[in-house]
Amino acid sequence: MVAPGLTGPAPAKPRWRGVALVLLWAGVGVGALLLLAKSVQNSGEFSRLQPWILLLNVIGVVALTALLARKLTQLVRDYRAHVPGSRLTARTVAIFGALVVAPLLIVYLFSLQFLNRGIDSWFHVEVKQGLSDALVLSRAALDLRVREYSRHTENLAHSLVNASAEDVAQRVYEERRATAALEMAVYGAHERIIAASLENPLESIPTRPPSDLVRQVGERRAYVSLEPQAGGEYLIRTAAPFTESLSRGDDRYLVAIYEVPTQLAALSEAVQHAYSQYGELAALREPLKSSFRLTLTLVLLLAMLAAIYGAIFSAQRLVRPVQDLIEGTRAVGKGDFGTRLPLPSRDEMGFLVHSFNDMTKRLRRAREEATRSQRVVERERERLAIILARLSTGVVVVDRELTVSIANQAAGAILGTDLSAAIGRALPELTAGNERLGQFVAALVVRFGAGREEWREQLDLDGASGRRTLMCACTPQSGADRDLGYVIVFDDITMLLQAQRDAAWGEVARRLAHEIKNPLTPIQLSAELMRRRFLSSMSPQDAEVLERGTRTIVQQVETMQQMVNAFSEYARAPEMRITRFNLNQLASEVADLYRSHDPRVEIRLELDARIDGIEADRGRVRQILNNLVINALEALDGVATPRLELATRFEQAAGDARYAIVTVCDNGPGFQRELLGRVFDPYVTSKPKGTGLGLAIVKKIVEEHGGRIDADNRPEGGARIRVVLPMTDSTRSASGIRERRAELRREIV
Amino acid sequence: MLRIDPLNLRSILVAIALAVCSGQAHGDALDGVLEVRSAYVSMEGGVFLLHARIEYPVSPAIRDALHDGVTLTVDLDTRIERERRFWFNADVQELTLRRELDYHAVSDRYLVRDVRSGTQKSFATLEEALADLGAVDGWPVLIEPQLAPGNYRISVRAGLRRGRLPASLHALMFWTDDWHRVSEWYTWSLPD
Repeated sequence: MVAPGLTGPAPAKPRWRGVALVLLWAGVGVGALLLLAKSVQNSGEFSRLQPWILLLNVIGVVALTALLARKLTQLVRDYRAHVPGSRLTARTVAIFGALVVAPLLIVYLFSLQFLNRGIDSWFHVEVKQGLSDALVLSRAALDLRVREYSRHTENLAHSLVNASAEDVAQRVYEERRATAALEMAVYGAHERIIAASLENPLESIPTRPPSDLVRQVGERRAYVSLEPQAGGEYLIRTAAPFTESLSRGDDRYLVAIYEVPTQLAALSEAVQHAYSQYGELAALREPLKSSFRLTLTLVLLLAMLAAIYGAIFSAQRLVRPVQDLIEGTRAVGKGDFGTRLPLPSRDEMGFLVHSFNDMTKRLRRAREEATRSQRVVERERERLAIILARLSTGVVVVDRELTVSIANQAAGAILGTDLSAAIGRALPELTAGNERLGQFVAALVVRFGAGREEWREQLDLDGASGRRTLMCACTPQSGADRDLGYVIVFDDITMLLQAQRDAAWGEVARRLAHEIKNPLTPIQLSAELMRRRFLSSMSPQDAEVLERGTRTIVQQVETMQQMVNAFSEYARAPEMRITRFNLNQLASEVADLYRSHDPRVEIRLELDARIDGIEADRGRVRQILNNLVINALEALDGVATPRLELATRFEQAAGDARYAIVTVCDNGPGFQRELLGRVFDPYVTSKPKGTGLGLAIVKKIVEEHGGRIDADNRPEGGARIRVVLPMTDSTRSASGIRERRAELRREIV
Repeated sequence: MLRIDPLNLRSILVAIALAVCSGQAHGDALDGVLEVRSAYVSMEGGVFLLHARIEYPVSPAIRDALHDGVTLTVDLDTRIERERRFWFNADVQELTLRRELDYHAVSDRYLVRDVRSGTQKSFATLEEALADLGAVDGWPVLIEPQLAPGNYRISVRAGLRRGRLPASLHALMFWTDDWHRVSEWYTWSLPD
């Protein structure tokens, strides 16, 4: 598997996108934390931003969680699918995550604990109790004053019941001065001021009595209140009706305002302040703890998620070149040397990737070189194969065990087997049923066994279809390794030898005819002259001797004359008179002739109706048939049930070439095995009579017709001669003869 | 201007935060009516004066909290906007009248304090103190030169929260503090 983008330039987009995403979220997170921190220091400005900051943080957490979930899902999927590099990524993430999360969690738990305990420690029971006690004490201290002033005011009010208006004013003034009150005033019905004395000379009107005071004194009850002032001072406002009896109808009441001594006021205010502060904080304890917990948790979540995401991101970035390398190696393993990995960075990994790229480049070059060389070799091999196929010489390459590695078509044809199917097999395995190949292999075994590696010899191979003579040469295959095997080159020179023999015999015949025929006539004439001249004048005894002698001379001369005529016939190359005639009919005629000649012999005819007409010299074809039948009949002498078969058969060879095959078989003794290769040579005969030229002449005529003749023995006994004749004159072109011969040879085999 | 009320947002976030993190149940400590009952402006010598009546909630929880030493901060937010036909309204003025209510344990009285002026009043009962807080009379909010021709809208809103926190704590507290409420905006048009 080759990852997309491996071969192209570095896939910058996804990586930059990832970096940008991480930077964005890191920025958002840091910004949010900064804002939060700053808001702690300056709440005024940032209090309005707090919801937004919180929202941002929550969004950050959610987004990071989503991203992380996606990453983790992908990681798990890759891990299960055994994607290269996923295990390394998972391990790195686990280590990074553990390294980051563990301290974070420890700090978090520690902080939480510390916060809880710290905040709780602010609110000790003793502190609260102490504050309450201080409060009670302050109240008691002030209460003393309050009651004192209240009693004084009540007493004064009672003492003024019967006083005149002037006396009241005087008394109020004096009492105010005497008690150091801030204000002292006497009110009548509807808050009418009857008399008033103020410490502040700038003020002329006393402070208006509060409504609750008015209500209370209206009910003829004394009033007192301790009023804290803005500056930390305390005022004691007391009021008392002149009389407690409602029935008296006296609505007047006295209001006096005293100031609590500064020291007592300050102490009380301090207690109040502390109490208030403590109460406020105590009320805030739980919300405060929750707030801290939440903030801390949020910060932890943000930090943890960001850390794990960062760990995954970093691990993937780290592993990416390794994955590329794995994929690249796989691609190279599959033979793709075009793989180029993107350079991740200039570190060691970059160096490794660079080395890998360099290696694939070298491999690619080497392979191209090898491919080129292979192509050249292939081309040479093809040329060689074509040459070998075109050769009529057989070429076989074998190793020491005679296993065939190369064999051309001609070799198969010569050895009578299909050697193209024998490539890779040992030659001895193929010899079953092929006598000629068996002899060939035996000859090789003998020579190789004798340690002969380079030789050139003529091999005679006997087979059912006759003897074949091969000119065979063996050469060890050249090369550093001597065990490459042998190249065996052989040619079937049977025909060549035959042609040589034919030519020699032709020459002999011509010379015989020329040199012997001429003296025969004078010899005969001379013998006859001698008989005529001297027979009448001789004694009967001498005459009989002469008569017998001259008759013998004349008979022998006639015999010689016949022989010379036969030779002449053999040597002669008469003009061919090609006509179209029915071969089957001619065969029938010849058969009928010899049936009548020797009725003892059973002559069977088996004619192929497809042979309607043949273009040839009718007289010479008749001679062929005559000679063949005569030859067979002569061979049947002394056979108990002589039988002769004359058959014609139509054969369509490759292309338009058509042939007529004439077969003459007998059930005689057959050809002698040692003569089988030379039965068509002149004077090769096993019969007591005959010139020994019959089959030689047949062969000559057949070859003049561009045909071919073969002789062999039938498996069931008896001789068989097959004549193959082209049916049309056009087939018989001189140029096609050799090729046709090869073709015919294969067919006959 | 487009506004998202931070307090509404905050309550949503608080709900989320509570659901996610805390699980602690916080009852609403400021239960009860909190609303601007009436409000109007009068003009005196070129100054617009705001008069308003606000009802603040009274509950044992508030009383107890005050007795424990907690200070309540009472805000009256005022917003004056100029209406625009094809766009959001323009802000002209935003003011907050901030006052504090606390219980003076030494004197057993409730104090109402104006944060800006520092003036302070004391009351024997919480009801009296809240009644005082609920009455705003003649609070100057705008001067005439600030107004260009056009239609103006005035909105008033009352807020109540646990106040006087240390600033750092206040920042942290906002998402778990349920001692914080605001009324609906009470809005009317400024007469021409």
